[in-house]
Amino acid sequence: MVSGPTITTLSLSSSSSSSFLFGFSSLKFSQRTRLKFIDNVNERKFTFAPLKCIRVSGFDSCSASTATEAPLAPSSELVSDKLHRLATEFRALHEPIDRVKRLLHYAAILPPADESRTRAPENRVTGCTTQVWVEAELDESGRVRFRADSDSEISKGFCSCLICVLDGADPEEVAMVKADDLSDLNVGLHGKSHSRVNTWHNVLVAMQKRTKALLPQHPQMLQPVLHTCTFSRQLQFHLLCMLHM
Amino acid sequence: MPLSTLTLFNLCCNSIMETVVHKLPSFKLLNPTSSSSHYCSSATTTRTSKSFRIGSRRRSFSISASASAVRQDNPALGSVSLGHITRPDFPILHQEVNGSRLVYLDNAATSQKPTAVLNALQNYYEAYNSNVHRGIHYLSARATDEYELARKKVAAFINASDSREIVFTKNATEAINLVAYSWGLSNLKPEDEVILTIAEHHSAIVPWQLVAQKTGAILKFASLNQDEAPDVDNLRQMFSRKTKIVVVHHVSNTLASVLPIEEIVLWAHDVGAKVLVDACQSVPHMVVNVQSLNVDFLVASSHKMCGPTGVGFLYGKSELLSAMPPFLGGGEMISDVFLDHSTYAEPPSRFEAGTPAIGEAIGLGAAIDYLSRLGMQKIHDYEIELAKYLYESLLSVPNIHVYGPAPSENVDRAALCSFNIENIHPTDIATFLDQQHGVAIRSGHHCAQPLHRHLGVNASARASLHFYNTKEDVDDFIQALNDTVNFFNSFK
Repeated sequence: MVSGPTITTLSLSSSSSSSFLFGFSSLKFSQRTRLKFIDNVNERKFTFAPLKCIRVSGFDSCSASTATEAPLAPSSELVSDKLHRLATEFRALHEPIDRVKRLLHYAAILPPADESRTRAPENRVTGCTTQVWVEAELDESGRVRFRADSDSEISKGFCSCLICVLDGADPEEVAMVKADDLSDLNVGLHGKSHSRVNTWHNVLVAMQKRTKALLPQHPQMLQPVLHTCTFSRQLQFHLLCMLHM
Repeated sequence: MPLSTLTLFNLCCNSIMETVVHKLPSFKLLNPTSSSSHYCSSATTTRTSKSFRIGSRRRSFSISASASAVRQDNPALGSVSLGHITRPDFPILHQEVNGSRLVYLDNAATSQKPTAVLNALQNYYEAYNSNVHRGIHYLSARATDEYELARKKVAAFINASDSREIVFTKNATEAINLVAYSWGLSNLKPEDEVILTIAEHHSAIVPWQLVAQKTGAILKFASLNQDEAPDVDNLRQMFSRKTKIVVVHHVSNTLASVLPIEEIVLWAHDVGAKVLVDACQSVPHMVVNVQSLNVDFLVASSHKMCGPTGVGFLYGKSELLSAMPPFLGGGEMISDVFLDHSTYAEPPSRFEAGTPAIGEAIGLGAAIDYLSRLGMQKIHDYEIELAKYLYESLLSVPNIHVYGPAPSENVDRAALCSFNIENIHPTDIATFLDQQHGVAIRSGHHCAQPLHRHLGVNASARASLHFYNTKEDVDDFIQALNDTVNFFNSFK
């Protein structure tokens, strides 16, 4: 059953077995990556089939259309939609270990980074117990494109999720995402414990900072988010103290 | 008065029960829910057949298969080991995490507390909580007595000659800061040297960096030898008449190596330098005798030695403490206060400003009682065996590197191993171990960034044991680790 908004960036099509396709129009996205959505009766459940592995029995797999030349649609509702889908996807995974596995799938679909470029010291995201690097740049349409890398597969998974949501978004949309929006994506936590939120939060803040740095002429629109970031930075500091005993 | 009689009765019961319990461990196991004992009834644990470890009269029910055949016949690690006998004293260990039995292997970060310590804390707040040292009334006198008794227990535990050589602090970090700011600021001059090793904990390095900035002193760091242990010869060669203080760990929290403190003190005193020993990883695990080591200062934290958080101590030789100016100012550490100046109390009060962590210090005293009853030498001997078993078991994991020296006849390792496995990030390992297997280890730099930089890595994983861990804990860990490695390798 196809539902949801029709978005020109993404090719959503259904087959008789109600599997969905999701193609990214990302300049860096690997053309060989395939993604499937499988609709459940009661809730959307997304499964991803990265290069090597998992075939879900009973569903046809279709190749993705990676329309790198497709025009980008107005993305005002896109980021929040994607965030919502991502949150729903993770919320549907009740076993923490399944969330770890899902993150590793996401890590596998993260576009490979040019290590010598992306892993430059100025791209390093501070505060994570693993090493994470994030780069941002504006494309011709003024949308933000992100690249990320990490020495940890799970952190790469976090980055991949965030890039799925934020890559190709307007700078204002990037600034508007709050750490709270990510709390449902917690991996390996009981309730709302915070240690992994730290990594999400650090990478999100880094993405927002890099985005802001791309727009020197519009500092005001990002001010409110910076206040949130400052408060969150205090929380982050406390979390860091806890983590770095 | 009935209340105090009841309290005294409970206290007697506690001490008798503890004594009886440790002489006859099976007594406790056969009567785990005896309501006549405050000690037993407070141990409310959920025990599944998977998690309950029985010692003494019955063989332990270990569901996990032994991953290593090494030392299976070692009686020290068998079903009546110290680990099996003491596990029932630690309620927190008897739980499941993410559907698996909790295997707690993060003791170098903090230790678990036996029921005796929990009871002591609870009893303090229930029966005689009161501010110490100044009060006239009954509760205050009792609290003061117990608090000062705890100080005596600490002194006896490390064989200090006088309990006034024990200063209670918040933790070892604060104790090191105390020495740095009080002794350091008044004794270090430009170009004086402070000698450390690159394997020191951040708490041993940063206070001296701060004080060196203020005084113009210089920090020098001894490196590691080819066995990945601190290079003691290199350390010795750094000593000169410019050396004013040597700040070193006793046992490394990452390398598991042990420094020869007695010799280091001899060499340091030869050049007129003082020695401050960070004993956080040694005091909980072995006999530490400050008089035979002849150290000038020694620090440790309660929470690493089965005591509560919030309290630690500094040991300092009397003549040194007497000459040191105050660190923190406030109540308790003064003699007389005028508007334009104050006079200060004698040590240790001089360095204990404000209301101390009274209940916590008393809890530390109870922890020392518990450890003393087990016997530190017995704990140490058991942990040496467990350390070897952990090390050898880890070496069986493919593509692993365990940091620090290999154990041998001449080289003892502490019961901890920091390690890395090729192509898998230690944080990913730790996450999977927790999520899939309920195994708790640590991942990161373990507050030893300079050491990790020297080793050429950003982070490592660390499993650290205490006397209440068992061979089965190690077996479960190794099995889980192999599963973790397979999991991540299958994603590549």
